[in-house]
Amino acid sequence: MIEVEHLRKSFGSGLREVVAVDGVSFRAEDGAITGLLGPNGAGKTTTLRMLYTLMQPDRGRIVVDGVDPAQDAGAVRKRLGVLPDARGLYKRLTARENIAYFGRLQGLDEATITARTNRLVAALDMGDFADRRAEGYSQGQRTKTAIARALVHDPRNVLLDEPTNGLDVMTTRAMRSFLRELRAEGRCVLFSSHIMQEVAAVCDRIVVIANGRVVADGTPEGIREQTGMANLEDAFVKVIGSEEGLFA
Amino acid sequence: MKPTWIVLRKELVDAFRDRRMVLVAFLIMPLAVPLLLAGMSSLGMKRQTEQLERTLELPVLGIDRAPNLMVWLGSNDVHVVPAPADPDAAVRDQEHEVILRVDEGYAADWKAGRPARVELIYDSSRPLQSGASIARVRALLEGYSGQVGTLRLIARGIHPAVGQPLLVASRDVATPESRFDLAQQMLPYLLLLLAFIGGMQLAIDATAGERERQSLEPLLTTPASRESIISGKILATAVFTLLSLVMTLLMYRVAFAIIPAERIEMSLEVPFRAMGWLLVVIGPVALLGATVLTALAAFARSHREAHGYLPLLIFLPMIPTLMLMVAPVKTQAWMLAVPFLGQNQLILRILRGEAISGVEWLINLGAGLALVAVVWLVAARLYHREQLAASG
Repeated sequence: MIEVEHLRKSFGSGLREVVAVDGVSFRAEDGAITGLLGPNGAGKTTTLRMLYTLMQPDRGRIVVDGVDPAQDAGAVRKRLGVLPDARGLYKRLTARENIAYFGRLQGLDEATITARTNRLVAALDMGDFADRRAEGYSQGQRTKTAIARALVHDPRNVLLDEPTNGLDVMTTRAMRSFLRELRAEGRCVLFSSHIMQEVAAVCDRIVVIANGRVVADGTPEGIREQTGMANLEDAFVKVIGSEEGLFA
Repeated sequence: MKPTWIVLRKELVDAFRDRRMVLVAFLIMPLAVPLLLAGMSSLGMKRQTEQLERTLELPVLGIDRAPNLMVWLGSNDVHVVPAPADPDAAVRDQEHEVILRVDEGYAADWKAGRPARVELIYDSSRPLQSGASIARVRALLEGYSGQVGTLRLIARGIHPAVGQPLLVASRDVATPESRFDLAQQMLPYLLLLLAFIGGMQLAIDATAGERERQSLEPLLTTPASRESIISGKILATAVFTLLSLVMTLLMYRVAFAIIPAERIEMSLEVPFRAMGWLLVVIGPVALLGATVLTALAAFARSHREAHGYLPLLIFLPMIPTLMLMVAPVKTQAWMLAVPFLGQNQLILRILRGEAISGVEWLINLGAGLALVAVVWLVAARLYHREQLAASG
């Protein structure tokens, strides 16, 4: 479970200060998929980066399974499986080697790494390219490998930054069912997206972010009721205040 | 410690799969260094023997004023030709290396038993090109002078030794190893330079390249600390560089085994034991280079910017070598602690076959590793900056 309270982060200083995240609070429960929805530049990536300890919040508190990253960042990273916005692979290593490298850095032994890799290769349908070097992978193959290496240590919490970015329809569908499997295994899944349909399709709970603030938080039905809009799309436009960046 | 080892292993596997990097580190550089030095060395040797053995063409002004001298020169492999009208200009324009002028009063002085005057016209600002020829003509003239002088003394019933109050004999204490030529002087610099920036490609690729290819951010989401990641990358760079240097030294050995060293009584070979000691001296330099390059790669915003600092890094190890060339000094203990200067001195001494004491080793290695530690701290700090991975 991930809890976030009054998170704030700004870049630059003085007149050039930009507040990227301004008092964000939400909860992502175990066994549920929570979507972080917002237009480009709303502060989703910065929020996630603070969650996986790449950045330190100026203010506010994060708790992952009861552990505060400010106290023990390493322990938090052990509990998280992260697919960052940047998902570069090592081109001279095969997919399996890419996954094994992260497995070793997570402190797993070789037998566990092999077993977990086999399971992920099967679950993500990577069999036809897993033993080929990553040079020349398609976008979908790259994303699958990046997800597999993020999950090799069997983390309780899974953070995904725009996981379907650049994927074709078939791969996107496969990704959705994979997220549902993760939920069925009782994990806490938190993913960000700027595509409304994406979030609506799989999320149990939606946190809408605009200009660094949470503007709506609840189930899809809850948000519809809250805004008085029958259609989810209109509801989003209403809470965000503009259509800008939503359908990019 | 364990993540460091994991990163080290992965970076080496990654590097050895990069064909271009392997080609440069294990073929091109190891071939280029000995070829460059062997080329310089053999060219110098060839020139020397050529200048000593070939027939020397000597323009003489006033050939008919000293016919006996011309016969003597001719019998000593000197081909006497008439000099051009303006001998000074001819020498200055490098048409001739040296011109001999026989004085107008030569015949008269000779007959009267007075010192007869001859003049050598040469350009001392080009010692490399014409030095041997000038020395050869001078020696021949002195030989002729000495011979005739001896004959004159004997003709007057005086023992020739009277005119030679001093007998100067010389004894050279140089060992074959300590006789150096230009190529050997260059070797320490080239070794230090290769050790210092030889891992450039790997270090920049492992940090700036990793960031540009967007794999640094995922790497930093693992529990491995940034300190252990950076240590692994630095060690991988140093190991790769040292392996490349071992290859270079082996090639160097092969190259100088081909050159006829006994002809000039000079040892250009590096014995295997000395090679081992050279690696001990160079080790901290490779580590320092790897750390500096990694810090630079973390500091620079891109691959390109990191490469921009390169000329500066090439210049650093050059400073002590240039200093020693201009003003050769006796080794003092404190110098061994100065980066590059200390290693340069130790390399020269190993190549000369001199012993190095335990204290001297301690000073040099201690100072080198202390500097590595300081730069490592800087690199680790740079790795902790938020801008490092979060570029987008």
